[in-house]
Amino acid sequence: MTPLLEVINLNIFFPRAGGESSVPVDDVSFTISPGEMVALVGESGCGKTLTGLALPQLLPRGAEIGGLSAIRFRGTDLTGLGENELRTYRGRRIAMVFQDPMTSLNPVMRVGAQIAEAIHAHRTVSRRDARERVLALLTEVGIADPPLRIDAYPHQLSGGMRQRILIAMALAAEPDLLVADEPTTALDVTIQAQILELLDHLRTSRKLAVLLITHDLGIVAGRADRVLVMYAGRIVESATTAELFSHPAHPYTRGLFAAIPRLDAETTRLTPIGGTVPHPDNWPTGCRFHPRCGVAIAHCVTHRPALESIGPDQIAACWVAQGRRA
Amino acid sequence: MKLESRIGLALFALLVIVAIAGPLVAGDPLAQPDPLHGAFLLPSGAHWLGTDQLSRDVFARLARGARVSLLIAAIAVAVAAVIGSMIGLVAGTATGIVGRCFQRFINLGLALPRIIVLLVVLAAVGTIAPATLGVLLGLTGWPAVARLVRGETLRLRVAPFVAAAQALGATRLRIVLHEIFPGTLPAVLVATTLGVADAILLEAGLSFIGVGVRAPAPSWGGMILEARDHLANAPWLLLAPCLALVVATSTATLLGEALRRSLQPETR
Repeated sequence: MTPLLEVINLNIFFPRAGGESSVPVDDVSFTISPGEMVALVGESGCGKTLTGLALPQLLPRGAEIGGLSAIRFRGTDLTGLGENELRTYRGRRIAMVFQDPMTSLNPVMRVGAQIAEAIHAHRTVSRRDARERVLALLTEVGIADPPLRIDAYPHQLSGGMRQRILIAMALAAEPDLLVADEPTTALDVTIQAQILELLDHLRTSRKLAVLLITHDLGIVAGRADRVLVMYAGRIVESATTAELFSHPAHPYTRGLFAAIPRLDAETTRLTPIGGTVPHPDNWPTGCRFHPRCGVAIAHCVTHRPALESIGPDQIAACWVAQGRRA
Repeated sequence: MKLESRIGLALFALLVIVAIAGPLVAGDPLAQPDPLHGAFLLPSGAHWLGTDQLSRDVFARLARGARVSLLIAAIAVAVAAVIGSMIGLVAGTATGIVGRCFQRFINLGLALPRIIVLLVVLAAVGTIAPATLGVLLGLTGWPAVARLVRGETLRLRVAPFVAAAQALGATRLRIVLHEIFPGTLPAVLVATTLGVADAILLEAGLSFIGVGVRAPAPSWGGMILEARDHLANAPWLLLAPCLALVVATSTATLLGEALRRSLQPETR
């Protein structure tokens, strides 16, 4: 199957006058196929949000994409497009759902009007038709009593409902790819599950590809087809969800699993990963995880590991996992 | 509702009733029934607030003056709100040279002393209709609104919902008009209500100097000007328009503050 989206050698950097640029996303490559759910997992500051924003070219001011990077959507490189062309991709082909449903909705607009805005941005429809579409979208994202909620203001709705509204907005122009950046982080645990259910449902009902950006491996299980683990601006491991959960290869991935509470294990203590994520201005040499890694060897300090196959449907950037002993 | 808000509403109702019904019941503000024996009469049943030096009914003049003052103030703040909003929106959203030019333009408007500009213009054009005076006040009052709207726009421009709209493919024009502009309205409404007090005082000041609403047309500022000469023997002539000014400006301030409390609770 030809991929829907190909990200090739994505570099994101903040140029500085008279100094070395900061490179928070370094040489990231991955693909997403139609209808596939891919999870991008990593700690805060690892570059996962910037990677998500780069897809529809919505990077913050000052950030630039490296010249050798390409983001191909159905073969078209988005990094070379102008604002007007990009607008036909944003929302229409690649839609985004942001983390905080409290601030991502306009407080002075009725939610129905906001969803209608997302429709009007891409096609000319009459008011009445747009309202019909909005009601259908509200039903699709599981809002109870759409005729009542369509005229509500955001502050009249709960956090979970607001996130459903944001998803309805994202679906309004019938995109092929949904980028969901921490869509459940601001929600209660029970609501989190409902929102993830909804994303999973949309993926099958609409053949929608989803890039789920999260710091929480726990919400990935059973939903994502593949997982990309990101650390310090690079992808360190990529595998199908089943492979990754049954035998994580990279020490960082294993560290993430050790930090998740489990009910079936004897140990009651969680094992945190020592240290903190390094700052983009000061990435470590060699393998960027080596200062925090329990199994690092001398080679890790000086040589950068590449992503190499270490099993079926599993690649990892780790010298030790690749079989090196010294 | 807070007590101040109630008082503000009550005073507002009083003003509106006086401005609308007053001239109907009080008769002709220009009539001089008996300049020889009917001048300087004390308040009575026939003349609620007495008569002035030309035997004209003070209440009739006060009520007609209220109509003129409120009309001028309403036109002034409306003109200032529309022009100020448009210029402030452009200054806040346009990037590069255009945004900077508009910002300088606002600063220029703020730097010009309003009263002097008005004096020069009014001295040049002579007698003008109250509505025209209102427009002139608006044309000199927009920079304050523009500065406010620009600030609000800069705040809203970086709001997450604007980023969300952009991510879903909204054009810049659509973002400015549909996402940012409605968010500036509460601040504009508050500023506009508070601005009514400024406009009323400014109009009264200009009329007092003799370049605003000119005699014999009744206005509060003009009434104060004429009453000044008779302060010793007929102090009520001065008291009536002064009190009216106090009531009108306090009303605008009280209502403006009440609106601020309900529309912008975060600014308290």
